[in-house]
Amino acid sequence: MRAIRASLYEKQESRAAFGFIVPAFVLLAVFIFYPMLHALWISFQNYNLIAAHSSFAGWGNYRKLFSDGTFGASLWHSFYFTLVVLPVQTAISLGLAMLVQKKFRGVGFFRTVYFVPVAVSFAIASTIFRLIYNKDYGMLNAVLKGIGLPAVDFLSNPRISMLGIIVLCIWRAMGFVMVIFLAGLNNIPDSLYEAAHVDGASPAQRFLYVTLPLLKRTLAFVVIITTMDALKIFIPIYITTSGGPAGSTSTVVHFIYETAFKQMNMGFAAAAAFLFFALVLAISVVQLRIFRTDVEY
Amino acid sequence: MNRAVVVPLRWIVLVAAAVVSLFPIYWMVMSSFRTHEEIFRYTTLSKELFLPVHWTLGNYREIFLDPAKPFGRYILNTLLVAVVVTAAGLVVNSMAAFAFAKLRFRFKRGLLALFLSSLVIPYEVIMVPQYLLMRDLGWINDYRALIVPQIVWVFGIFMLIQFFADVPRDILDAARIDGAGWARIYGVIVLPTAVPALITLGIMTFLNQWDSFLWPLVVINEEKKQVIQVAISSYQSLRNISWGKIMAATTISSVPILAVFLLLQRYYVQGITMSGVKG
Repeated sequence: MRAIRASLYEKQESRAAFGFIVPAFVLLAVFIFYPMLHALWISFQNYNLIAAHSSFAGWGNYRKLFSDGTFGASLWHSFYFTLVVLPVQTAISLGLAMLVQKKFRGVGFFRTVYFVPVAVSFAIASTIFRLIYNKDYGMLNAVLKGIGLPAVDFLSNPRISMLGIIVLCIWRAMGFVMVIFLAGLNNIPDSLYEAAHVDGASPAQRFLYVTLPLLKRTLAFVVIITTMDALKIFIPIYITTSGGPAGSTSTVVHFIYETAFKQMNMGFAAAAAFLFFALVLAISVVQLRIFRTDVEY
Repeated sequence: MNRAVVVPLRWIVLVAAAVVSLFPIYWMVMSSFRTHEEIFRYTTLSKELFLPVHWTLGNYREIFLDPAKPFGRYILNTLLVAVVVTAAGLVVNSMAAFAFAKLRFRFKRGLLALFLSSLVIPYEVIMVPQYLLMRDLGWINDYRALIVPQIVWVFGIFMLIQFFADVPRDILDAARIDGAGWARIYGVIVLPTAVPALITLGIMTFLNQWDSFLWPLVVINEEKKQVIQVAISSYQSLRNISWGKIMAATTISSVPILAVFLLLQRYYVQGITMSGVKG
């Protein structure tokens, strides 16, 4: 009798559990997993919304990608962006976190101030920087001229336009990463620093031999999410330069967007997206291996 | 190193970083109070560059009164989408998190793994088929396209599971013996203990929706139905638009959010650190 009741109880619990999960599961299946499989399917199709016909393309789209100079360039721009943003942003954020880690009068104020840009949306941050960078009446050029330097057209010079975008992205993200580092730094016990101090370690040595090794987990998390986000950069590109001048800032996601929603070439765009997905995944796996920690994401 | 050098240096860096963080926002707000002519006139280092000479609210008046670009409407559209997604998301995601955290059932590990596996799928990869799906459902230019696919958020489920894990199973079993159903236990016992977590998730969801750009850009083409971020970017493609007006639009859409954000930043920060460096 008791066994029957117990199994009934378990059955009820099982049924209740599925009831709780079903809404999330259905939404996930319809709007994430199905599109994912569908993306794979259409990446093997010649599927253009304008021509309104589709046919099987085999590896055609993928083969075309490898010989497509625009795609190659956009891939390089995404990587260039990431290669600059990753070390610079990580270093700045770690620096800020270390500056405001110790309690002192006004520390709360500085922590909050550094975090403020996080609440500004990407679209708005890009808009503000567009005004600040403006060649004729932007604040930055007013300052440059004020100290006797020539005016620079930050967003229409192919050689430096990406740097302008990099600066605005770091401005917006550094407070976010700082908070992650702060949490990591607070997990390091003070006794370790004291011990190092007693052993006569200099501040640089304490940083290299205490802080960095114990921050490995946090660092791994930061590196992985920064890389993922940086490779997917799109909004600032769309708003500040639309990929120009002369395609010098077109990134992969910008390429996918243009191919899918300007040229309506869905098959080709899906293939580009899938190739990109494989790359991002491979990079994350390699980074995880390098850090050899079990980061939860 | 010498203390007499380090301490002032430290303060210089602290203040410089603070100026860099705040200056673009200051610049946005100040520009929104300038007339069209003024933005072009003062382009040298002077007091006038940093403070408006003739303060005006004209830019604000104009963006709200412009019938071609109904700014008030954009705000309401965005609020509607953000509020509905946040509310529905809190319900759906917390239900799933509760089951994963506290209930025993078959295939639990497998299902959880399946859920978490979706975290590696970048949104950009499924953008194209999602758009095609919206087209097939007839949801293009429809708020349903902005709302329904955005409700489930596995990251949020993952975060809530960690919070719910702290609720002792004994309490749930006791309530069960007293005859409470699982729905009641979830609503009356578990949810109230997770209010801080729900606030955290709510803020994150709301901010994500308020800032949402690429998806509305793709699925909403009708001017009047557009959301605020895309609307702001479309201002810039207009000819002869004044930067004063653009900055008024960005100020209105970011300053209230900033204020709320600063009040509740404790929760937001908790969410970031929970997901990043727990354990």
